[in-house]
Amino acid sequence: MKKNKTMIVVFLAPAVIMFSIIFLYPIFRTVLMSFFKIEGVTDAVSKWQFSGLSNYIKLFNTELFRISMWNIFRIWLFGGILVMGLALLFAAILTSGIRFKNVFRAIIYMPNVVSAVALATMWLQYVFSPKFGLFKSLGKFLHWEWLEKFQWLDPAHLFIALLVAYCFGMVGYHMLIFASGIERIGADYYEAATLDGANRIQQFRYITLPLLKGVTKTNITMWSISSAGFFLWSQLFSMVVSNTQTITPVVYMYQNIFGAGNSMTERNAGIGAAVGVLLSVCVVVIFIVCDKIFKDDDIEF
Amino acid sequence: MKKKMLSALLCMSMMAATLAGCGSTGDSAPADEGTAEAPAEDTATEAPAEGTADAAEAPAAESTGDGLVYWSMWDAAEPQAQAISQSIEAFTAETGIAVDVQFKGRTGIREGLQPALDAGTNIDLFDEDIDRVNTTWGSYLLDLEELVAANDYEATANAGLIAACREVGGGTLKSIPYQPNVFAFFYNIDIFEEAGVTAVPTTWDEFLDTCEKIKAAGYTPITNDNAYISSMFGYHMSRLIGEPATEEVVKNGDWDNEAVLKTAQAYEELASKGYFSETIESNQWPAGQNTELAMGTAAMYLNGSWLPNEVKDIAGEDFKWGCFSYPAVDGGTDGTEASNYGAQVFAINAKSTKAEQAFQLINYLTTGEADALLSEMSVGIPADSNNAEWPALLTNVKPVMDSLSTRYPWGAGAEANADMTPIIVENFTKLCGGSINAQEFVDALKAAGN
Repeated sequence: MKKNKTMIVVFLAPAVIMFSIIFLYPIFRTVLMSFFKIEGVTDAVSKWQFSGLSNYIKLFNTELFRISMWNIFRIWLFGGILVMGLALLFAAILTSGIRFKNVFRAIIYMPNVVSAVALATMWLQYVFSPKFGLFKSLGKFLHWEWLEKFQWLDPAHLFIALLVAYCFGMVGYHMLIFASGIERIGADYYEAATLDGANRIQQFRYITLPLLKGVTKTNITMWSISSAGFFLWSQLFSMVVSNTQTITPVVYMYQNIFGAGNSMTERNAGIGAAVGVLLSVCVVVIFIVCDKIFKDDDIEF
Repeated sequence: MKKKMLSALLCMSMMAATLAGCGSTGDSAPADEGTAEAPAEDTATEAPAEGTADAAEAPAAESTGDGLVYWSMWDAAEPQAQAISQSIEAFTAETGIAVDVQFKGRTGIREGLQPALDAGTNIDLFDEDIDRVNTTWGSYLLDLEELVAANDYEATANAGLIAACREVGGGTLKSIPYQPNVFAFFYNIDIFEEAGVTAVPTTWDEFLDTCEKIKAAGYTPITNDNAYISSMFGYHMSRLIGEPATEEVVKNGDWDNEAVLKTAQAYEELASKGYFSETIESNQWPAGQNTELAMGTAAMYLNGSWLPNEVKDIAGEDFKWGCFSYPAVDGGTDGTEASNYGAQVFAINAKSTKAEQAFQLINYLTTGEADALLSEMSVGIPADSNNAEWPALLTNVKPVMDSLSTRYPWGAGAEANADMTPIIVENFTKLCGGSINAQEFVDALKAAGN
């Protein structure tokens, strides 16, 4: 077929123009903003004051920003291990042919359907409550004094509380992705392995895991993206004023753009932009590392 | 070739229509309709002409329309919003001025107002906290002095709050206060009586004495939540050296200032004597106010005058609310006459073409029946000085409000540095819980720098 250049241009033009306006322009503008001091996020360019790298220098010298980066790293790493581990375990159990599979799957997925605000309130005001909390009652029932007395919400343990509550809601989502990956693997592999005398654990180790490589990569990518944008749970676990245990870079960015708490604090959208740029760099690095670790070795099954 | 040209043209017009659809809903929206309609009705010869005519007329109709556009900080479900909606209906019935009220909520206004104003969205009036409106959005406000004088508005307004509005407005009045609030110690009168406390404490020694009696009576003297705990730090520092100096310390990281250590030592003493709630370190708002103060196990809570309304369903009707200003400290610069008090304020967009009507609405909402209705429904303080009757829950707040002459901003300066607030909150919470002592508190702030 003869290629018609005009038609190619005409049909591509809308997509290219839209992409430029909606993706490229904001990226370009954000990077540019990060080198300026800007009070209001929508201020005209004429009001911007060039400040070179000072936004980045200030960020690296600010204890609170360093804390927020450390928090998000902890959420990504520890939360990631916890969520991926549990999700994989549940997915393996659910796909092993147990009874009431759909019921269990629905139960584990349930937190994703409930509003995060309701979930966080339940955890904060009920489950972790030092007065009448679920864990306190459980500790009392089991005569585990450490659990009964454990102060989930004080400054020393608030991060653990946040991590537990957040991961509880995330397991179901990643479990579904793993489960669909496992179900894609043909039953004949397992049949053959059973005939060869491999037990369930060996089958999981030598068949399921290797064939889940691509799905694992997807899961880690999804997890990294949602971790980088960690905002809502942080806000819900530190109402009104932010907290050293729960603050994340996106919350820090928000405070610099819209002001913190009820107080009138200095605003600088340039710092917010710099946080955004740094976060993007982190995400890109994680993707590159992930790509290196989980090379697509084109296993066909 | 013709066919190609036609399809190319169609493609372009489709793209234009899509792009135009993304435009702001303000003045450009009616014009979009014109472009989008024209190609669709290409067989009718008159259609394009009609399309353009529509486009020309529609924006004109919108900008000269009679309706006021009011962006509100309340959520539609809140009692404040319900009271305002009712009053606006009455206002429209009375004056014939239609009002398009949009309840944006706190975050909606905070995030969306400035971009909307920058984009030229048609907003005549809006409201938010006195400080945010006057400082953050100060450059968008219409000077109201003339309108206020012409309507003799100040005759019934709260003089102290109008003065506060002038002060934060840079000497001129750019906002009208309503829903006043004051930040002070709120307490359970029954516990005070049972403990034998006959007068509210006005000095630190009296405060310690009060705490001791309450503790002896078997109650928790003081509780708080993570959301407000830094105010205790700010208030104490401000009592010692005044608010401006406190704000300087917080902003410049001057943690060697001896007022910091003195404040920390005062709170270390409270903690060591067991005057704080046992769970103060774990109190995530609203746990302290709901499960301790409102349930009657704790006696005092430093908070705003919105507190009785927030917990009224838990506290019950027989809960007797008392209020006193943060006590004066030995050798301090400020006394009980100083506190954080303020209001929500209405302001008019400087670009509004209907400023007079907007002021008429503000006048209506902040005076007389509408003000009384708002006060009643939200258990809030009335703005109109003729509405002398305060809601029963706030009866004891009136003398405190009337006694104030020095105004602190939010948190008495404790939260002036956003980079430090969470660090102050964390360490001050630990100090109140007895996990660290005064010196460790100061060291922790110093270690965080800035």
